Amino acid sequence: MSINNITQGLFKLVRIHQYTKNAIHTTAACHKVQAGRYRITSKKDFPLTYEMANPPHQIAHRKSWNSWNTSSVDGGLRTSETAVEDMFIRKFMIGTWHALFVSEIIIKRQHNMIRIAGIVRQSISPRKMYFLIGYTEELLSFWLQCPTKLELQSVGDKKDVVFQYI
Amino acid sequence: MSVLARAFDKGFARNIPKSVSFYSSNSERIQEDEFRVLNFKATRNQNLQAKRKGYKPNVLPPRTTQMPVDQDWGSVWPGPRSFHPATVPLPIRQGYREKGAAPDKYANAELMKIPNFLHLTPPVVKRQCEALKKFCTPWPKALDTDEKCEKYFPIEVTFSNYCHSSPTIRDPLARIVTLKIKLSTLKLNEHARDKFLRLVGDRYDEKTDTFSIVTDRCPTRKQNYEYAMYLLTAVYHESWEVEPWEKLKSEVDMEVYDWNNSKSKETIEELFKKEAKDVENINEYVSAINSLMNEGESKDTIYNYGLAVRKLFNFPVTAT
Repeated sequence: MSINNITQGLFKLVRIHQYTKNAIHTTAACHKVQAGRYRITSKKDFPLTYEMANPPHQIAHRKSWNSWNTSSVDGGLRTSETAVEDMFIRKFMIGTWHALFVSEIIIKRQHNMIRIAGIVRQSISPRKMYFLIGYTEELLSFWLQCPTKLELQSVGDKKDVVFQYI
Repeated sequence: MSVLARAFDKGFARNIPKSVSFYSSNSERIQEDEFRVLNFKATRNQNLQAKRKGYKPNVLPPRTTQMPVDQDWGSVWPGPRSFHPATVPLPIRQGYREKGAAPDKYANAELMKIPNFLHLTPPVVKRQCEALKKFCTPWPKALDTDEKCEKYFPIEVTFSNYCHSSPTIRDPLARIVTLKIKLSTLKLNEHARDKFLRLVGDRYDEKTDTFSIVTDRCPTRKQNYEYAMYLLTAVYHESWEVEPWEKLKSEVDMEVYDWNNSKSKETIEELFKKEAKDVENINEYVSAINSLMNEGESKDTIYNYGLAVRKLFNFPVTAT
């Protein structure tokens, strides 16, 4: 009887040990977050725009969103469609305005209107730029079946948008 | 061009080597702002990749430098638009810098992101309201107070419109219709009111005396509205109908104790051998027994009941 008790007690001890082993982590927690953060270069000559200089957790504190729409509010409609369309617009803009955008592409939606804003370089002639504006608006409004507007700002030099060098 | 033309004129065209095409010879003359020409005629010495020079456009100074102080802002910025530093003559800054001033308005993407209300300045709003005024009709003079509105238009219908930033104007929640009416505005007698309340159940709010129906089973708002009106009509007429089985309702089924229909009244009439209303001190007794039966037994109701019974039968009233 007494031996039985002892063995039972031992089993309990072992089980407790197992629980404590599983429940407590003794290694350091891995909190490595890399998205939207830039490595400092040795020469400190890597240019960052304001958007790049602020990591994602600064959204709504120091910088704001690049997509403005109501699909993310409570009860919003067309959540996935809006996200996919925004991604498509971004890809299309980057490809069409090759090496011209020096800022992020800002997409604002009001009702069925899509307004695309951003900063471009003045490295092509105004005639080409007007052509690109018309081309983009026409094609995007045909694909997305929404009136699309381009609201651009131009800068003479790339360095105008540089916020800091790291 | 003129040199070439002369050459053609003199018949030298045949002597021009094949490798020199019109476009390649003329490539330097093509201005930078022209689109490049795709040449299908592949030739060897063609200078396809003309060295691109850095394009320097002559950019005009921003509009803000030429704006008069008393300009009409509504026509400068007529509609909603992203911020543009060359159009807005305000020294705005946006952003955060740990040391030094915040970034200024030129090439500032943050200012382009945030929605602005530059198209809705007070004078513009006033102007738009003036323009819309001719489409408005005056409020009926007879309905000057809320009480009158409620009296003449007792039914209140509520629904919601939703604005989304999406190409569709449909929202499933827009179909829901709420109909509210004060029960006191309906013509109901005691029986009909009782039946009405039993039929509508918890759709009736006792505190505000309001009966409300929410309809959302039909796909469109119009259908839901019509369904709500139909329900109201149906419930109203149903509550006025007296079914044969309703006469079988006995004293036990009554929701409120009414002395006039009770066994107690019969007994009193039998004891006193006259009509109940002629009995002395009967009113006090009726109110006491009603409160005892409806409010439940408590110290006060029992005491009052005892007092009323003693008075009714002319028993000595003693302090208990």
